[in-house]
Amino acid sequence: MLIENLLGAIAEIGNLQTLAFMIIGATAGLISGAIPGFTIAMAVVLTLPFTFGMPPAQGIATMIGVFVGGLSGGLMSGILTGIPGTPSSVATTFDGFPMARNGDPGFALGLGVWASFFGGIISAVLLIAVAPQLARVGLEFQPWDYFSLVFFALTITASLAGQNLVKGLIAGALGLLIATFGEDDINGVARFDFGIEYLQEGFGFLPVLIGLFAFSRLMTDVRDPKAATMALTDMQEVSIRIEHRRAALTVLKNWGNLIRSSLIGVFTGILPAAGSSISNVLAYDQAKKASKTPEEFGTGCANGIIAPESANNATAGGSLITMMALGIPGDIITAVMLGALLIHDVIPSPSFITEAPVLAYSIFLAFFIANFLVLGLQSGALKLFVLVTRVRMYVLAAVILAYCGIGVFALHNIVSDIWTLFIFGIVGYILRNLGFPLAPVILGVVLGPIAEKWLSRSLAISTDVSLFLTHPWSLFFIIAAVFSMVFTLYQRDRGKRPWTRFYPPALMLSLSLPLFMMEGVIRPVVAVCLVGAGLLLLYRAKKPQTVNEG
Amino acid sequence: MSLPNRDTIIAIVLLFFTGVLIWASFDIRSPDYGTLAPSAWPRSVLAILLVFGLIYLFQSLRAMPSEQNTAQSDERGGLVGWFIKYRNPLWCYFIYFLFLATLPIFGALVGGILLVFCLLSILGGFAPKKLLLHGAIATISMGAMWSIFTFGLRVILPRSSFIDGI
Repeated sequence: MLIENLLGAIAEIGNLQTLAFMIIGATAGLISGAIPGFTIAMAVVLTLPFTFGMPPAQGIATMIGVFVGGLSGGLMSGILTGIPGTPSSVATTFDGFPMARNGDPGFALGLGVWASFFGGIISAVLLIAVAPQLARVGLEFQPWDYFSLVFFALTITASLAGQNLVKGLIAGALGLLIATFGEDDINGVARFDFGIEYLQEGFGFLPVLIGLFAFSRLMTDVRDPKAATMALTDMQEVSIRIEHRRAALTVLKNWGNLIRSSLIGVFTGILPAAGSSISNVLAYDQAKKASKTPEEFGTGCANGIIAPESANNATAGGSLITMMALGIPGDIITAVMLGALLIHDVIPSPSFITEAPVLAYSIFLAFFIANFLVLGLQSGALKLFVLVTRVRMYVLAAVILAYCGIGVFALHNIVSDIWTLFIFGIVGYILRNLGFPLAPVILGVVLGPIAEKWLSRSLAISTDVSLFLTHPWSLFFIIAAVFSMVFTLYQRDRGKRPWTRFYPPALMLSLSLPLFMMEGVIRPVVAVCLVGAGLLLLYRAKKPQTVNEG
Repeated sequence: MSLPNRDTIIAIVLLFFTGVLIWASFDIRSPDYGTLAPSAWPRSVLAILLVFGLIYLFQSLRAMPSEQNTAQSDERGGLVGWFIKYRNPLWCYFIYFLFLATLPIFGALVGGILLVFCLLSILGGFAPKKLLLHGAIATISMGAMWSIFTFGLRVILPRSSFIDGI
C-alpha cells in the first residue's frame, strides 16, 4: 500500500514541470525568508495565485517549496547581518552572527544550511511514519467528533492571541463571521447581503487572505516615509563560500543535539499554534542546558546554530502531520495550505490520507524533495539575497501591491475579488494598528464553513446535542478545547498563581475520561497511565511550596 | 470630563457592528428543508462576538485612564498630525482605489503600469531621475506580470476600453 501510494505520488510530482515549480518556489522562499520584515506566511500567501491553474499536487508541492525555503532563508540574514529574516531564526543569530563576525561566516552558513537539511529530513521521515497512523484514528470519527475537532482547532485562536486573549478571541470570531457572508453552502440561502449584489457571493477566501495578510503588511512596511525609501539591509557586498564539507561533518558529529532539536521541532509543530518561532528558541535553550560548555553559547558556538536551525525546519514536518492527519491547521502557513486545498476542491479532514492517498503522499514526497532542493539552492540564493537586499522597500511594496490585484483576479476572473482584496487590505491594516492579531482571523475564515458543515450533518442525524458529550472522541476534543482556551492564562500565570499547579493534573484526569469510554485495550491503558500521572501531579500540587517556582 | 480611551471606542464600534448584524440575521430566509437553519450558525458566532465585545468593553473601562491618556497624549497631534503620520498608507489606498475604479477603462496592463508608477513616485519622490526609473520599473514589472498571467497561466485579465488586445 505504502509503495503503491509512493509510486502514485512519484508519478504525480516526479516530472520536470513540478520540479521546476518547486525550484522556483524554494528560491522565492529562500529570498523572502532572508528579507527581514517579510514573513514565510506572506510568501506562501503570495504564491497561492500562481497555483490555481496547477493540479492540486503540483500547487501544494510549489507551496511546500516556498515553506521549506522560507524556513532556511532566515538563517542568511540572521548570520550575516544579525537581523533574523523571520522569527523562526531568531536564536540562530545568537551564535551565527558572532561566528560570522569572528571571521568564519562560510562555516556559520554551512552549519545553518546542513542543520536545516537534516532537521527537515528527520521531520519528513516522521511525517511519513506518523501521519498515516494518526489518520487511522481519524477514520473512527463521526460528525459529532469532526465538529468537536474543528471546535478545538478554533479554540487555538486563544493560543494564537499572544498577550491579549480577548482581542485574539474577537479576531477569531471576526474570521468566522467573515466566512458567513454570502450564499450558505448547505441550504443555498443568501446571508448578510443587504440587497447588494456584490455581497451575495460572499467574500472569496484568497482575496480576504491576501488583503488581510499581505496588503496590510505592505502598508505597515511603507508607513514610515524614511524607512520606506531605505534599502532592505545595509549589507553592501558579500563574497562568502559556504563550507559544506566541514559544516556537514560538524553537524553529524553533534548528532545528539541534532536529533534532540529536530524532535523538539517536530513536537512543537504538532502542537497547534506553537510554530517555528517558538521551537528555535526552545531547542537553543535545551542545547545550552545539555551542553558541557554552556559558557560558549553566544560567542559563536556550532551547537548554537545547529539547534535552532534543525528545530525550525523540523517544525514544518510537525505542523504538516497535524494538517494531514487531522485536517486542522497548526499554524498560519498550514491554514493557508488548507485554504489552497479547498480551492482545489479537496476537503481536508481526518480521512484525507485514506480518501486521497496519492495527493497525501505527494505532499509527503514534496516535503522530502524540498529539503534537498533548498540544500542545493542555498549558495545561489545567497548571491540573489545580496542583490535583493539592495532594493528599496517602497519599490518592492509597489510591485507586490500590483501583483496582489492581478493574482486574486486570476482565481475567478472577477474584478469584485480585487475590491474584496482592497477592502480587507484596509480592514487588516486597521486591525493591525489596533493590536488585533490577524492569524486567528485567517483561522476563523478557513475553519468556519467546515465547522458549520459538520454541525449541520450532526444535527441532520440527530437533534440530540448530548451526543457531543457521549461520543468519546467528541468529548475528548471538547475537553481539550476547554483547556486550550485557558492555556494562554496558564502560560501567563504559571509559577505566579497557585491555580496553575492544578492545570496539568486537571488536564490529564479530564482527558482520561473519554479514553476510558473508548473500545480496545490500548486507550484504557493510556487512560490508567494518565490517571496515575495526574494523581501524582495533583499530590505534588497540593503540597505546600513557594509560589515563584516556574 | 475625560475622553473615552481608544479601546472603549473600538469596543463600542464593535458592539454596534455586532448589533447591526444580529438585526440583519433576522432577514435571513429560513427554508422548509434542513435541520440547521441558515441563520443559526451566524447567530451563534454573533453571540460569541457579543460576549467577547462586552468583555473587551469592561476591560477597557476598568483600565487605568491616566496610563492610557499619558500613552496616547504623545501620539496626538490632531487630525493633521494623524494624516501626516499615515500619509503613505492613505495615499496608497487612494491610488489603489483609483486603479480599481478605472480598471474597466485602462485595463490591467495600462492601469497596472499607472498604479505601480504612481505608488513608486508617491512613496519614493518626484525627482526627474527617479521618475524615469519609476517608469522603467513600472513598465517592466507589470509587463512581465501581465505576460506571465496572460500567456503562461492563460488568465484573461481585464482589457482596456481604448486599446485593442491589452
